[in-house]
Amino acid sequence: MSTGIVKDWSKRSNKLERIWLLAKIEFKLRYYENKLGLFWALLKPIMDMCIYYVAFKVILKSDVPSFASYLFIGLIFWNFFVESTSGAIQILYIKKYLYEYSNMNKLEIYISTLFANSIGFFFNFIMFLLFYNLLESRSVGFAFSNFWIIALFITLFLLSLGLALILSTIYIIAKDITQIWVVFTSFLFFLSPIFYKLSTFRNALPIFEFGNPIAGIIINARRVMMEGLQPDFWLLGFDFGYAFIFLSIGLLFLNKLGSKAAEKL
Amino acid sequence: MDAALAIEAKNISKTFHITEDSHNTIKHRLFNLFNPPRASKVEALKTMDFEVKKGECVGLIGRNGCGKSTLTKILAGVYPTDTGYINITGSTLLMNLGVGMSHELTARENVYVSASVLGMKIREIDAIFDKIITFAELEESVDRKIKFFSSGMLARLAFSIAINAGADIMFLDEIFAVGDVKFQEKAIKVFESSWIEGKTVILVSHTMATVQKYCTRTAFMKHGRLEFFGDTEKAIALYMEDNH
Repeated sequence: MSTGIVKDWSKRSNKLERIWLLAKIEFKLRYYENKLGLFWALLKPIMDMCIYYVAFKVILKSDVPSFASYLFIGLIFWNFFVESTSGAIQILYIKKYLYEYSNMNKLEIYISTLFANSIGFFFNFIMFLLFYNLLESRSVGFAFSNFWIIALFITLFLLSLGLALILSTIYIIAKDITQIWVVFTSFLFFLSPIFYKLSTFRNALPIFEFGNPIAGIIINARRVMMEGLQPDFWLLGFDFGYAFIFLSIGLLFLNKLGSKAAEKL
Repeated sequence: MDAALAIEAKNISKTFHITEDSHNTIKHRLFNLFNPPRASKVEALKTMDFEVKKGECVGLIGRNGCGKSTLTKILAGVYPTDTGYINITGSTLLMNLGVGMSHELTARENVYVSASVLGMKIREIDAIFDKIITFAELEESVDRKIKFFSSGMLARLAFSIAINAGADIMFLDEIFAVGDVKFQEKAIKVFESSWIEGKTVILVSHTMATVQKYCTRTAFMKHGRLEFFGDTEKAIALYMEDNH
């Protein structure tokens, strides 16, 4: 019955088409208006990867195996999170033209922006697969556990959507949330095992992986992509729980604060 | 909700709280925790009921500052109401000088985005795309970003999207002041000939002849209050009286 409702909804309304149209246009604006095109999407994680590789592998002699791939997968998940949260704080201001003349559902604006970010993510992810499987000497190769990456990405998507909703609606009443979130994400970056060895991270911050959903998602992403293991289901459950809670709060904020965006922004 | 109603608003009201300080940062709020800003209240809309039937053309008149714009924004679902509730059946379009276009997008992209926001499917937009561009007289500039358009070109594009794509419920705020005289004549012709038929329209205007011509019922507002809603002739008489 529920699939019938979904089918009926997607057939009758143009919502899915509209979300995809907005996502495509946003993606095009971001990447195709410069000479490097889609390569821009790849440039950021590659540059980050080079910097951390030099700092941690060359100078600090990190003994993490397949360190370049270890960084790569961590950074593409982290970059999606930052682009979808920091990048969406002013979304109600920038995309005001979409809702100040009509009763369009504002949630569609968020979903389309995250879809645009998802296109960049998938492009990077394919690059990671090629790099890891073709160039990485200690690759474990393809495994069925790789498919768990879909569940991890959905968790990341929902978590980022929830936080984007919360931050952008707070922006309506407190503009400096932008600066506060920049500081917070810098802090969160160093509290996530992006370039640290996992055992070092766990020794220094025991059970913190359950307190930081991004850390949990990155740890699981490496398990399923680089170790050929199933994800840590406790960790996945916790992260999905965080995503659900943040999304619920975000929708509540959108309903209460977001409805005033047209008059306040 | 009655199936024949396009908009049903009960006990709606709107008050704006205007603060003199720019009290919109967390830092400012923390530093002024015990010294909240003085907010002045502007009662833009006093409690009222408002119903619009499907397919009806309703006029909305009143002097400047009487609350017409606030009411249209609430009825269009753009502003939330402070009290009561509002049911809107279908998509709405609030049209005054624009229809909500991004200056970073080309005319082509804006047509697709705007028409999609108004509820059309891509293949339906494909079918009317040329008509929209031809009507707006923008055949040469279709793939140019609209930030390079003149104000007249922008207005023509917005008007063309609105009349060709159209929402289920249209709020037209002084739209006949768009473009040059030639375009105005063309726009009025389209509006008169077929466009208004079957559409639910709320027409905001200071031109009484326009209201008299198109509206079956008219609302007259004064100081945020709905003074009268009914016969157009009577509403116009009240408005004229208020102007003297």
